[in-house]
Amino acid sequence: MTLDKSKLEDDILQFVGSRIPNHPELAKDTDLLEDSLLDSLLLMDLIFQIEDRYAIKFGSDQINPANFRTVSTIASLVLAQSNPQPA
Amino acid sequence: MDTILLHFDTPTAALRAVAARSDDGDARTFQPTASNLATAFLNVATVRSNHAALETNETVFSFDEVLRAAQRVQQFLRTRPDYSAGMRVVLKLPNSAEYVAAFYGTLLADCVPVPIPVSIERLRWQQIQELCQPQLVFTQREHLAGLESNASTASLQLREATGLSDSPPAPRRHGDDLAMVLFTSGSTGVPKGVSLSHRNLLANAESILHDLPIRADDKALVLVPFCHAFGNSILQTHILAGATMVVGTPFLFPAAIVQALAKFGATSFSAIPDVFGTLLKYGQLGETPLPSLRYMSVAGGGMRHDMAANITALIAPATFHVMYGQTEASPRLASLPPDQLTLRKGSIGKPILGVELAIRDESGRDLPPGEVGMLCARGDNVMLGYWNDPESTAMVLSNDGWLQTGDLAHRDEDGYFYIDGRANLLVKIQGHRVHPAEIEGVVEASFPNTRAVALPMARGEETRFALFVAAQNGQPIDMAEIRATCIRELPTYKVPLHFEIVKELPLTSALKVDRAALSLRIPQY
Repeated sequence: MTLDKSKLEDDILQFVGSRIPNHPELAKDTDLLEDSLLDSLLLMDLIFQIEDRYAIKFGSDQINPANFRTVSTIASLVLAQSNPQPA
Repeated sequence: MDTILLHFDTPTAALRAVAARSDDGDARTFQPTASNLATAFLNVATVRSNHAALETNETVFSFDEVLRAAQRVQQFLRTRPDYSAGMRVVLKLPNSAEYVAAFYGTLLADCVPVPIPVSIERLRWQQIQELCQPQLVFTQREHLAGLESNASTASLQLREATGLSDSPPAPRRHGDDLAMVLFTSGSTGVPKGVSLSHRNLLANAESILHDLPIRADDKALVLVPFCHAFGNSILQTHILAGATMVVGTPFLFPAAIVQALAKFGATSFSAIPDVFGTLLKYGQLGETPLPSLRYMSVAGGGMRHDMAANITALIAPATFHVMYGQTEASPRLASLPPDQLTLRKGSIGKPILGVELAIRDESGRDLPPGEVGMLCARGDNVMLGYWNDPESTAMVLSNDGWLQTGDLAHRDEDGYFYIDGRANLLVKIQGHRVHPAEIEGVVEASFPNTRAVALPMARGEETRFALFVAAQNGQPIDMAEIRATCIRELPTYKVPLHFEIVKELPLTSALKVDRAALSLRIPQY
């Protein structure tokens, strides 16, 4: 299965949006950390959800602010981690 | 009810002469110096005046500064027209110098602190207000959300020492007098106010200081909220030991905890099992040298043996202490010596100093080793009872002082105890005791035509909730709306992870909801 970045972003956006109340303007580039939209439990739920859905495992050095700042950076991390087959 | 915003403005640490670490080698063990918790604090703060009581990312607060701030709170309360000894004062504050000053200041004024989580949900806050009728709330501007807007709001600056009376009156309450009320979930889902006396809290502190290697030159990184029985216990023990606590930094990323331990030179770290779970998975524990670390401890829920063994291996030569307790016991009841961890897999250890534990059957008879029964406890740390609720108190506390913990347990031939399950529907989630009715009630209140059932579900190494909803009279159910309501009304840890509509709820032969049958429908993660 080849992951498509924009589809991936939509999925992650939907999950994050489903767990954050009253934030209709949430977008792919919304700063989740600056706006304090994630708490530590939501972050762990998000990681669990992504690892489960895309059958990947994050390394402990990847769970950091740079990778989890926006939906878009999270999607990039998932893509890098899912290690697509060369064409 | 008045709302008072606390401010404790402090110059940055660089400009100050507070000793962040003791260099006097003072590592005395705890001496109970008073029968009032605040007087004990006052005595320690007088001896340790220049030592750091609290450290944050920005600054350091000495014991003397915290004491003066507490005396300002004391004076503020005592000079109010509505002042009366024993009046309830809610603390809606994060772990901070403001919290510590408000807590001991309230006690110094002979009033009763009622700490609540800063993110408390609306329904629970209403229930707590109705139950304990607090006179005022100490909070901060960023934590005003959820408090009534019609209440009058004033500010109190804790930094200014001017106008402070030279010899503030000593507190008169002591011993078995009520010291504080800690709200927790009872076996019916309605919050219960655990009433703890000065004797309870001092006994708990003394036992823990006997059990854990806490020293006056310690620096503990504290994440557990002080409003939680576990956090409250960490607060009392470190204050009474004259030690330093690092507070005020919420850690979103697990690796940041380990970085903070290194940066602050922390000597200890205590947390709930879930935090250790994320530390093991994503915290890079063991990769960063922690030369100052002497021990870690876990409480607030059961921990799998293999996780405890992993932590032990990763932090050696620092030691790992598994502990057990509950809010009703101030909270500590048992502790497992680190050298017994591999020999007694899954044990909560032996009773701590001053505590008796027993395993009993339904008729109250003591059971021999190996047999599972109700874990009961007795000691000076066992609560006075539930606030204003003699019926519920009588259900768990006998006249001769034995507390029924609600946990099913057994002991081995050598007197080590093991938890086997719970005798009621209460679930431990992220260190919080939660009754399914707390979730079911919120859903049914917003959607009167539904019947909701919340059940614990395993998700990885954690426990969370699944929610099943059935229509009462054929009305359609909007699950997206129910989910949105849960997210809006409940703190994150109570929000179900799995939502499912069922046509009919399965019933037992006694016509109660068959929770066991419903549990089988929960998806496996």
